[in-house]
Amino acid sequence: MTDSVPALQTIGLVAGYERDLPIVRGIDLAVARGEFVAILGPNGAGKSTYVKALAGTVPCFAGTVLLGGQDITQTPVHLRSGKGLGFVPQTENIFTSLSIAENLQLAADVLPKAFRRSRLEQTLSRFPDLAARPKLRAGQLSGGQRQMLAVARALVVEPQVLILDEPSAGLSPKTVGTVFAMLKEINSTGVTVILVEQNVKAALSVVERGVILVEGQLRHQGRAEALVNDPMLAALYLGAHAPQVAQR
Amino acid sequence: MMAQTIMNGLIAGSMIGLGAVGITLTYSILRFANFAHGDMISWAAYFALAVSTALGTALPGLATPVGPFSFGWSLPLGLIASIALTGLLTLLVDWLLFGKLRQRGGAVIILVMAGFGAALSLRSFLEFVFSSRPTYFTDALQIALPLFAGVRATADQMLGLGIAVVLVALVHAALTRTAAGRAMRAVSENQALAGLTGVDVSQTIRLAWLFGAALAAVAGVMAGVLVQIRPHMGHDLLLPLFAAAILGGIGSVPGAMVAGLIIGLSEALCVQFVGAEWRAAVSFVVLVAILLLRPQGLFGKQIP
Repeated sequence: MTDSVPALQTIGLVAGYERDLPIVRGIDLAVARGEFVAILGPNGAGKSTYVKALAGTVPCFAGTVLLGGQDITQTPVHLRSGKGLGFVPQTENIFTSLSIAENLQLAADVLPKAFRRSRLEQTLSRFPDLAARPKLRAGQLSGGQRQMLAVARALVVEPQVLILDEPSAGLSPKTVGTVFAMLKEINSTGVTVILVEQNVKAALSVVERGVILVEGQLRHQGRAEALVNDPMLAALYLGAHAPQVAQR
Repeated sequence: MMAQTIMNGLIAGSMIGLGAVGITLTYSILRFANFAHGDMISWAAYFALAVSTALGTALPGLATPVGPFSFGWSLPLGLIASIALTGLLTLLVDWLLFGKLRQRGGAVIILVMAGFGAALSLRSFLEFVFSSRPTYFTDALQIALPLFAGVRATADQMLGLGIAVVLVALVHAALTRTAAGRAMRAVSENQALAGLTGVDVSQTIRLAWLFGAALAAVAGVMAGVLVQIRPHMGHDLLLPLFAAAILGGIGSVPGAMVAGLIIGLSEALCVQFVGAEWRAAVSFVVLVAILLLRPQGLFGKQIP
C-alpha cells in the first residue's frame, strides 16, 4: 500500500439494519495511512452503525468500503481481521469465560502457525498488566483492563486500521486517560486509528482529525485543534442552532 | 450388593454422560435444546448395526468375538462408519431445518419446536426402515467377571466405562487446548465477537454438530451393546441426558459426565431401594431440583 492510497475509505456508504430505513446515508470519507481520527456526533447520528458497517457486522446497502484500496464491502466479517481491519466493539468486547491468553490466542489463530507465538509475545509485551496474569479468566478483569484486553486482541493480527466504538464508555476519567494514551502510542507505531467517541473533549485531545456525523451523513470535519472551539460542535452537542457549514 | 448397585449405576451413568456431553456442547454453541439428539443416538446405533452386519456377512471373520468381548472387529468398524453417517445426518438436518431458521433469526422456541418435529420424523423413519422390534449387535452371551468385593461386570461394560472416561478427557482437551476448541467456546459465548476475531462462525457451528454427532454415535453403539437397539432407545434417554447436561452445567464437558454418573447412580439406587417403577422419575426429580436450586448446574455458568 502506498502512502497516497487511503488506509480506509468509504464511498457513498449506505448501511443500517433495514434496507428501507438506512441509518448511514451516503458517507464519503477517506482516512490516510497512520492517521488518528475521531468520529463524533450527537446521539443517533449513526456513528456506531457506520463503524459497524466498516467491520461488517451491519449490512451495507450501497456504496463501497475500501481497505488499503481493496474492496471489502462484501467480505465476510471473519475474514476482515486477517485483511488488517481490527474492531473493538463498545460492549461485550472480550470473551469473559476465556483466559487472557486464550482471548489473544483466538485472535492469533487466523495467522500462519509460524507467526503466532511471536505475535502473542509482541502483543503481550505492550500490555504488562495482562502479561503478568495470562491464565486469569478475562471476566475477572476491571473495566479498564477489559478495554486493554479488547485492544490487545485486535492488535494481535497487526491491523492496518484499528477501529474502536466508544472505548471510554463506562470507564473512570483516570482510566480514560490511560486508554487514550495507549491508543496514541499505538497510532505512533503507524497503525491508523479510528474511534467513535461521545467524550468529545478527551477524543479531540488525542486525535488529529474529527469527523462529525449528523443524521447518518458527514456534516463537518476538521483538524482536532480547530474543532475544539468550533461553534458547530458546540451547537450539535448543546442543542443550539447549528450554523450551516459546508462539508469540507 | 450395594457395591454392585453402584457399579451398575456407574456403567449406566457413563452412557448417559456421553450423551449429555453431546447435548451440552450443542446446547452451549447453538443456544437451544436440541430434542432430536436422542434420535441421533438411535440412528447412530442402527447405522453401526447396518454396517457391522454387512461387514460380518461379507467377511465372517470380522464378526467373530474378539478376546473377552461380545463383538468382533465389524462393530468398531461399524462405529467409525456410524460416526461419519450420523455426522452427515446432523449436517443434513441442520441444512434443511435449523440453519434456515437461524438465518431467519428464528426465536429459540421455534428452534426447539423444530427439534421436536425433527425428532419425531427421524424416529418414525427409523421405525419404518428397521421396524420397532428390538435387536442386538450380537447374540453372544457374556459372563460377568468378578472384579473386587463381590462386584461383577462384563468386559463390554468395563470397555464402555473406559471409553466414556477417555472420550470425555479427549473432548475436554480438544475444547481447551486446540484452536477449534477455542473457537467453539468463543462462539458459545458471543457469536458476533467471535466473527470479529476471525472465527468462521458457520464452520464452527458445523463442527459442533459433528462433535455432538460423534458422541451420539458412541453413546448409541454403547447403549446397543450394553442394553439393546430400539428406534425409541435415544428418545427414552432424552430426559436423563438433559437432566445430566443441566445438572453438570451447560457448556461443561466434565460436568456433563460427572452429572451423567450421578443420574445413573441415582437411578440404580432408586431401583434398589425404592422400586424399579420409580426409575424414570429420578431424572425428572433431579432436573426439577437443579432448576429450582442451582439453575447454572454444578460446574456451569448461567444458562442463557
